[in-house]
Order: sequence, then C-alpha cells, then structure tokens
Amino acid sequence: MRWLAAFVALSGAAFLMGDYHNDVYRKMLLWITLALSYNFLFGICGQVAFSHFAFYGIGAYSVVILLFQLHVPLPVAIVLGVAVCILVALAVAIPATRLEGFYLALATLALAQLFVVVLNEGGAVTGGTGGIANYRLPAVFGLQVKGAWYTGVIVALLLGTYALLRRLDHSWFGRACRAVRDNPEAAAAMGVDVARTKVVAFALTSALAGMAGMVYAFVDNTVNPPIFGLENAFLLLFMVIVGGAGRHAGAVIGAALLFLLPFFLSPLVGHHHVLVFGVLVVAAILLKPKGLIGFYDAIRRS
Amino acid sequence: MQDLLELAVGATASGCIYGLIALAYLLMIRPTGIINFAVGEWAMIGAFGGYVLLTKYEWPYPAGMAVVVAFLCVVGWLTERIAVRPLIERGAPLLAPILALLGMLVVFRETISVSFPPDPMPVPFAFEIQDQKYFIIAVTLAVFAGAWFFFERTLWGKSFEAVALNRRAAALMGINLTRVTAFSFAAGAGVAGLGGLLVAPNVSAQYLMGVPLAIQGFTALVIGGVGRVEGALLGGFLLAFAEQLTIRYAPIPGGYAQGVPLLFLIVFLLVRPSGLLKAKA
Amino acid sequence: MPSVVLEVRNLSKRFGGLTAVSGLDFDVREGEILGVIGPNGAGKSTTFNIIAGAYPASGGDVRFAGESILGLPPHKIAARGVMRTFQHNRPFAGMSVADNVLVGAHTRFGFNVFGKKSLLDEKANRARAEELMEFVGLGELRQADVATLSFGQGRLLEIARGLAGEPRLMLFDEPAAGLTPAELTRVSGVIRGIAERGIAVLLIEHDMHFLLPLAHRVVVLNFGAKIADGLPEEVRSNPAVTDAYLGSHAAAR
Repeated sequence: MRWLAAFVALSGAAFLMGDYHNDVYRKMLLWITLALSYNFLFGICGQVAFSHFAFYGIGAYSVVILLFQLHVPLPVAIVLGVAVCILVALAVAIPATRLEGFYLALATLALAQLFVVVLNEGGAVTGGTGGIANYRLPAVFGLQVKGAWYTGVIVALLLGTYALLRRLDHSWFGRACRAVRDNPEAAAAMGVDVARTKVVAFALTSALAGMAGMVYAFVDNTVNPPIFGLENAFLLLFMVIVGGAGRHAGAVIGAALLFLLPFFLSPLVGHHHVLVFGVLVVAAILLKPKGLIGFYDAIRRS
Repeated sequence: MQDLLELAVGATASGCIYGLIALAYLLMIRPTGIINFAVGEWAMIGAFGGYVLLTKYEWPYPAGMAVVVAFLCVVGWLTERIAVRPLIERGAPLLAPILALLGMLVVFRETISVSFPPDPMPVPFAFEIQDQKYFIIAVTLAVFAGAWFFFERTLWGKSFEAVALNRRAAALMGINLTRVTAFSFAAGAGVAGLGGLLVAPNVSAQYLMGVPLAIQGFTALVIGGVGRVEGALLGGFLLAFAEQLTIRYAPIPGGYAQGVPLLFLIVFLLVRPSGLLKAKA
Repeated sequence: MPSVVLEVRNLSKRFGGLTAVSGLDFDVREGEILGVIGPNGAGKSTTFNIIAGAYPASGGDVRFAGESILGLPPHKIAARGVMRTFQHNRPFAGMSVADNVLVGAHTRFGFNVFGKKSLLDEKANRARAEELMEFVGLGELRQADVATLSFGQGRLLEIARGLAGEPRLMLFDEPAAGLTPAELTRVSGVIRGIAERGIAVLLIEHDMHFLLPLAHRVVVLNFGAKIADGLPEEVRSNPAVTDAYLGSHAAAR
C-alpha cells in the first residue's frame, strides 16, 4: 500500500541524515502536521483561530505532567493525554464557535495568551517560565525509542493526521465545512447544522493539534511557555496563507517553505526572517490569494 | 485614602492610553469594518519616534510630538494604500485586509527590531513634568473632545457616520469612500502613535510592546462598544481600573495581572460583544 | 385530490408597531404551483421567510406534512423536506458547480464518514446531482468554477441545489428577478417540470407576466392580508387585486 511505502520512506530518511539535519527534519514534519490540521479549520471551514498552538501546548504539557509529576504509566498517560486534548478542545469549541468572523480570532488569541500566562505562573506544576526539561520517553517493552527511531512516531502522526483529514474533506462533512465557510445562511437552508459543523471542526482540529503536542514533548525533551505563544500561532497562519489555504498540498508547501526559509535566509537577514514572512504574507494576499499552490495548478493545467 | 487616590490616578492614566488605542481601532472599524490589529505596532512606532526625536536629537517636546504624530499619519495612509485599498477595490472579503494587516504588523515590528538595538530605549517626560499622568489625561481628553466634535459637528465627521451605516448608500450620495478610508487609517495611526508616545516615558520604547497594547486597546473597545466615541474611553477606564484593583487587592500572584485584559476580552466577546454603551439610534 | 403538503394557518407577524402579515391562510398541494403575489411591502417576503425558518412568527402556525415547522431552525426544516432558493443568488463560491449541488443533498447522506456505506452514498448522490444539473440545463458546467457562471446560470444552480435535497416542497424566492427573457422561459419550464414530478411549489413573485401563466393557483396579498385566492384568470380580473396594484402605483406617483 502507498501509505506503508510513504511511512517507510519518510521515516527511513531520518537514518540517512546526521543528527542536526534529523532535528530539523523532525521539527519540519511536526509543523507540516500542525499546518494540515490548521488548514482544515481555517482554509476549509473558514474559521480564523489563534488557539492551535495553545492546544499543542496542552497536549505536550499534559503528557509530561502525567508521566513525570503524577507518575502515571506510559499507556495510561497516552490515553489520558488524548482524552484531555479532546475534552478541552470541546470545552473551548462550544462557546468559541458562537463568535463570528474575526471575533473568534480575537477570543482565541486572548485564550492563547492566557494559556502562556498560566504556564508562566504555574509554579511547580508547569515549571514556570523555565518549563520542564531533562526527562525522556519511558521505555516501551524495554526498548528506548529515541533519535532517528522517534522519527517513525512523528511520521505516523503526520500520515494519520493527513489520512483522517483527507477522508473528512472528501466526504459530506468536508463539503458542509466549505459551505459554512462560503455562505453560512445558504448552508443552513441546505440542511447543514452550522453550529454543530463548526464545533466539530474546531474540536477535531484542536484535538489533533493537542495530540501532535504529545508527540512533540519527546522531540527536544523540553517544554516551555514561549514555544506555545502567539509568535508561532501567527507563523502557522502565515504558512497556510502563503502555501494555499483550503488545500492540503498548500499547507504542506507553506509549512515546509516557511520552516526551511530561515535556514537559507540567515546569512542575509540574521534573526529577522520574520520580516520576510510578513512581506510574503502581504504579497500572497495581494497578488496570489490562492497561495503558492496556485502556481502548481497553473502548471498542471497547461 | 492617599493610596486609593494614587491608584485611581494611575488607573485613569492607563485607561487613557487604552482609550486612545481603542479610539484608533474605532476610527478604522466604523467606516470599513476592518479590525486593524497593527495599531499596537503603530503605537510602538510612535514610542520609537519619541526616542529618536526627543532623546537622540533632543528636539523640544511640542515639535517632536507634532512630527511623530504627523509621521504616523503618513504611515497609516501608506498602510491603507498598500495593504487595504487594492483588496477593497477587488471586492475581496473583509477577512483579506484583516489578514494582510496582520502581515503588516509583523513587517512593522521587525523593521523596528532591525533598526534599533533590542534593549528598551528611553523617552523623556513631556515638558520635563515628572508626573506624566496628568499630562496623559489632559492630552487624551483633548483628543477625545476633538474626536467627539468631529463626529457630531463637522460635515466630514457626519459623512464618516454615513459610511459606517451603509457604504453603498453613502457612495450613492456622493461620498468618496476611498478618501474616507484613507483618512480613517491616517487618523487611526496618528492617534495610536500618540498613545505610544505618551506611554513611552514610563515603559520605554521596546519593539515587543505592540501586541499587548493591541490586546488591551481592543478589549477596551469591546467593553465600551464601537457605537460611540466615548465608549472607547469608558472601556479604557474600566479595563485599567480592573487591572489595577486586581494587582493591588487580589490574593493571586502578580503575573496573573496580565490575564485581566485577556479574561475581560473573552468574557465580553462571549456575553456582550456590542459593548456597554449603545450606539445612537 | 392530491394531498396538502403545506398549511399556513392564521399566520401573523409584527415588527414593533408595524403589522407585516396578519391572519394569513392558504394551502399548497402535491404537484401544485402556488404563486403568492402582491405589491411591494405586501408581506410576501416576510411570509416566505417565516415558512423557511429565517424569522419567527408572531402568531399562527405553519404545518408541513401535517407537522408544525413554525420556529424550527432552517436546517431542520430542510431536513424535513422543504428546500428553498434565494433571490440574490447565494452560491458557495469556493466550490465547483457539482459540489454546490451536492451540498443541497446534505440531508440525504447517512451520518458516517468512514466505511463502505458512505462511499456508496457519495456515488449515489453524485449521480443524482448530475441528473439534476442536466434537468436544469447546467450539464456541461459540472466542474466549472462558480465565479464563471452568469446570473441566470447561478439561478439555475440555486434550483438544482434545492432539488438535490429531494424536497416535497420547493420554495422559490422571486425566481424571475434579474433574468433575461430567454432565461425566464427556461426557469419557467424547470419549475413546471418540478411540479410535474409531484413536488409542491410555493413561489413568491411580483412579476405577473412570469407568474400568472405558470401558477396553478394564486394568492394575492396586500398590506399583510390575503385579498384574493384562486385561479390565475380569476385573480387577474378581480377588482380588489387591480385596485391594490393601481393603488400602490398611484401612491408611488
């Protein structure tokens, strides 16, 4: 099957790279995973939210706290972690999706900031401003899964997320999400329960972000507040816009490009690659609103 | 008693700054419906302008203030021209300029970050007055009085109102929509820049100061309501007082004070998004 | 005698001090085209929107297939078998024409997303959508971008989309608005074809040249109340009706 081949190819690539490249590769895969779920919420369902990274953080911190503060065994921690992600996602989704347009963005922005404040002030539970570090993934059946082997876990997450979102996209649910995005009043007239569609899309994609966070926790073996703040939330939005909102391939291209760009730009602009991103986003919206994927489409058509 | 009075004055001054930012949002939201989150960065530019003209080149305060505000007006006009007008003319959905302005937010912030060292830059007190608070309150009241007068009594201001109520009808009546939009962005930037300049002596100019101000200003706007100019100031005061009272009297660690505007924003958006003051009929 | 599909009983609606609709009674039967006409401000739109679930009523009842639908949200009304078109076309701009029609079939899909049944549903509904697009005359434009459609084609899309929901009652909101004469003939033919399939049709319209030849029966409103109810020829020669229209013309002058 193609999925197995993809899994082997993507995970195997990790063994061909040195440690440094491996680290970059794994982080890129995680960003792509996040961009895929964010793209479903923003590009397909039309909801602008800045809470994606907060959910990433909820997943990451939950699994770390469960394993190393509450000393829960690994399988239980995984199940509980997923449960926490889903429950919090639902709890936020239900009130949040009642907000229209950019008000949802602002409420989720405030929520994301609030999450960082809580992390910073969390004292012993969250490790405060320094976060929690120096832990490692407990052995699974006596095996220590780390380094290049852990890439397999990330690839599984990526492929699983992609498979799920693609299936949903091509179903009546995906169409309902797009209808809600394009014209909520007409969608309702056609029988779409707009409120429920929004809640499901928000909760599902946020829970997926949370699960990605759980995987992330063991990539650097560190979790600290700045990672889950607004900066990265903006960056995720930019990735999806530049790549092409509404298309899975667009999310992949945007995430890979904006993630890798700083490495190539750093001799030119140092730390200020974010400036380039800002310019790219404005340019994309003004010149090529369908995103970079539009270029690919044009080539295919001709 | 003295304690409470000090707190009240401090909160009033903070509230004025939030009110100015809220007014900046309001000036742009009313005619266009666009929520311009980059106002925080405009305030930040105002603060840095103060540093450059007043600290570095030691200009007299009135001249420095005037030039900073004028400069920001130009920045606002340029922003509209580049990131907003092409999209409106194309008939793009409202979300498009809002997102483009988020891109501009980052551009503004990083441009300043590239141009100045990362440490906070000092900005002098206005007219050597050590206690800035009264100056801030006085200037803010003057600005709001001016804004109120503009909307209530001038023809230009009334055409703003017309556009706010119904763009198409206003255009049919001969009101130049492009000019109104350009003016609203220029004025919004000027007001935001002024707010940044006024708050800078106390907090110093720092390139990360934009987003927190943008959040506080928007919260003030949501509390007060978009319908009336006075609402922006009222919202600012309520938010500032809530913040100060929480910091002083609430039995929770100080760091949580940052959470006050965030909680207020979430609660008001969910419960009373139209704000406390009703728009005029 | 075909069965009654829609019953409107003593319907009334007040906006503050203004009475938009009062004491309105009428029925629509299977396979029947009922036209609701009246001068501007007569209450046609308000009545339509109450039936479609967009506004609450102040009093009275609306029953579909024997059950009250008054106060139900639009998506539940659609699920029961009542579909509508919009006067100012409201297509889903980010989807192809075919996908637009498929959204109309939303309530005909089973609720699973995974598994064989969902794939079968998808196939069956896609086939039906194709048939519907042929029926309204949009056959070649299946994969077209909605933005490329003319206004008239957009109107046909509205109709195909509504039909995809397999309704027993179709509500048309001023279907003639903005159409060229050729398009009017086409839409008229489509609506007739819909009624021939046994679907009840309620249409509000103020273009009498379009409506009178098409409708089986006509209800005339003025100032929110019914002033006539009968065959098109009867209504055409009814003095109360001509008064209402002339009266409003005179007032406009």
